[in-house]
Amino acid sequence: MLRATGVSRSYGDERVFRDLTIDVDAGEVVAVIGPSGVGKTTLLRTLALSLEPDEGTVTLDGTDAWAVDESARLALRRRVGMVFQEASLFGGSVARNVEYGLRVRRSWSERIASLFRLSGAADAVHESLEVVGLADKTDQPADSLSGGEAQRVSFARALAYDPDALLLDEPTSDLDPRNTAVIEEAIGEAKARGIGVVVATHDMHQAERVADRVAVLLDDGITEIGPTEEIFDDPADERTRKFISGELVY
Amino acid sequence: MPLEPVAQLAPALLDSGAGPAASLLGASFREGYVGSIIAVSLYVSLTAVALSTLVSVPAAVAIGLAEFPGKGFVKSVVNTGMGFPSVVVGLVVLFAVSNQGPLGSLELIFTREAMIMSQFVLATPPITAISLAAVSGVDDGVRDAARVLGGTRIDVALVVIKEAKYGIATAVLAGFGRAVSEVGSVLIVGGNITSADGISKTRTLTTAIQLEARQGRYETAMVLGAVLVALVLTVNAIVVRFGDRGVA
Amino acid sequence: MAAVGAGAIVGTAGCSSTNDGGSGDGTGGNGTDGGNSAESVGVAGETLTLTTTTSTYDTGLLDAIHPDFEEMYGVTVDAVAQGTGAALETARNGDSDIVMVHARGLEDEFMRNGYGINRRDLMFNDFVIVGPESDPAGIGGTGSATEALTTIAEAEATFVSRGDNSGTHTKELNLWDAAGTDPGGDWYQETGTGMGEALNIANQQGAYTLSDRGTYISQRSEIDLTILVQGPIEGGPEILANPYGVMAVNPGVHENANYDLAMAYIGWITSPGVQEAIAEYQVNGEQLFFPEAVSEDPDFQQYVPEGWSSDDSDA
Repeated sequence: MLRATGVSRSYGDERVFRDLTIDVDAGEVVAVIGPSGVGKTTLLRTLALSLEPDEGTVTLDGTDAWAVDESARLALRRRVGMVFQEASLFGGSVARNVEYGLRVRRSWSERIASLFRLSGAADAVHESLEVVGLADKTDQPADSLSGGEAQRVSFARALAYDPDALLLDEPTSDLDPRNTAVIEEAIGEAKARGIGVVVATHDMHQAERVADRVAVLLDDGITEIGPTEEIFDDPADERTRKFISGELVY
Repeated sequence: MPLEPVAQLAPALLDSGAGPAASLLGASFREGYVGSIIAVSLYVSLTAVALSTLVSVPAAVAIGLAEFPGKGFVKSVVNTGMGFPSVVVGLVVLFAVSNQGPLGSLELIFTREAMIMSQFVLATPPITAISLAAVSGVDDGVRDAARVLGGTRIDVALVVIKEAKYGIATAVLAGFGRAVSEVGSVLIVGGNITSADGISKTRTLTTAIQLEARQGRYETAMVLGAVLVALVLTVNAIVVRFGDRGVA
Repeated sequence: MAAVGAGAIVGTAGCSSTNDGGSGDGTGGNGTDGGNSAESVGVAGETLTLTTTTSTYDTGLLDAIHPDFEEMYGVTVDAVAQGTGAALETARNGDSDIVMVHARGLEDEFMRNGYGINRRDLMFNDFVIVGPESDPAGIGGTGSATEALTTIAEAEATFVSRGDNSGTHTKELNLWDAAGTDPGGDWYQETGTGMGEALNIANQQGAYTLSDRGTYISQRSEIDLTILVQGPIEGGPEILANPYGVMAVNPGVHENANYDLAMAYIGWITSPGVQEAIAEYQVNGEQLFFPEAVSEDPDFQQYVPEGWSSDDSDA
């Protein structure tokens, strides 16, 4: 459904990755594991259609995102959601945050109208917050939440507008086990709804728990990509084995 | 002009305070004089600041969110503008609206509208510069999130403005402070005119103070100065109060 | 920036006009008094922009007499107090319709350059030399202004000068010139302020200064300076006379000058009734101005630059 083919990306002279191919299908969870700084974030942003690759293509349901005009690309981008390591919630209430994605997809006249009356968005907002277990905090100010709660709201925010693909960049790195568990459950719920999820993580146990497939990103390319069990139990590439066992020092 | 009625409200209140204060000091003001100069001060400065905000805030957001070569230079230019001497701006606007100047046919010389023009020029650098600082201070992550969740450039700008709203409010108040307390430009382009019975046409609190001072009536000038300070405090208090209540 | 503001301002200019109408071209039925025929060439509803000096304005005379004119014609007079030089410059630029100043030399130049026409002598008051009662330089009672200044210079007694090219400052410089003395040094202080402030400064320093009688009278209760050399009104030397003139801005140079209304004003202010009102105007119980416009005997010199005669080679 969402596919990057042969993509390369550099920042100035520094190459991040080269000739990388990865895809995710509807209702599947792909984990991207690799050491810090290897380029997981850059890869995810490329998949989110935010960063243009220096080479290669990124397609959503077969449409090359960078071969179409600005407005077509915006439409494609709006079918993808991303959650970062830091929640970065907006000021205002939790509901206002979760509603953002829905709000920006409405026309201006609808938006102005919604200032004056309740819109159907209330249901979607409530539902997404239920997935992350925070429906009781709907009207609270976003800055009154703890770090873990904020990240959960951030997830709900990306879920609310029912994207086709969801990209998660180390979503639980800063969270305690309880909040981590909530997020992982939410990932499961997204998968159940047919959303294609790509989650970058340096926690291999998390990869084992949530992913159907795992891509191992080392140096400047994907050394290996395959079903979770295979990667962890019987990796094909020597470097993969070393990374997983912790032998490779970066 | 919608702001005129608003500008008429405060003067009545302040007049009732300034009148007794003035007569205590032996200054006899004709009835309605102080109220009318307050009204002119408010009308000119509030309008100038409102118009400037409409231009400055979007400009600050555009500059703040964009990356381009020379961005640092643009920031320096804006900051330098904060130091424009008001009398110089007055002379430039005078040149423009004078009969001899490019806008001469509009007959704006010695009108409140010319004063709004010059105060617009004076208020824009502080409003832009401080808004720019506020916008730049918004967490990059917020910007990223707004964009990646499907926002257009305008959506992202609106989110950033909302996050920076306290900084922007400070910027607008700074612009108002600069405008309402300057005397150089409004004196030159406005002419400090009142009607024969003391109702102000282009006389502001600051030019009235200047008039009293040049005649050596320092105490009266001080009373008017106190009225001006009270006015600025009131406006500040209203904006801050409004901001506090608006935390959703 | 100003252009951006102007665009917005033009929009607001239309809806914020108060009752001052426009200072229009003065012809073609601009009047707002109902009942006149469509052909009327009235000035009603228009605004006359008059530039004058700060000392003239600060006496309050104009605010006292203008309502009469405004009612008579149904117009508004915008009196802009700018200082002599600025008042004339504004008129030169075509931004005012009429000027009222008291600097004959500058008025003559204004006429010679074609900017001012239909000049009339208006009124006069005088200057006085004031100083502390203790009179350190001993000039009290001198009948000669130039002698008094020479004495002050020799004694190096502190003297406060306006230093701003105003009518008063111009007169002061003429006096030094006539006295043959070039003032300078620590005792000679140029303040660049208005007359009222200058008097305050002289008061604080116990210094001498040249002042117009009007400003001195209105401030007398607040300062401790006394008149040491009288002006011609009280028998002093003619050289301290301070005559005022009024001139219309030449419509031949500035088309948009409100000539009709300016002439109406000149006619009004030089009329016997208003000249009397000027004489009756008092500050702190004293008459400030002495009318000059109404006279049995002809005074041709008021219409032309001083010393001009038809025998002159240039017209």
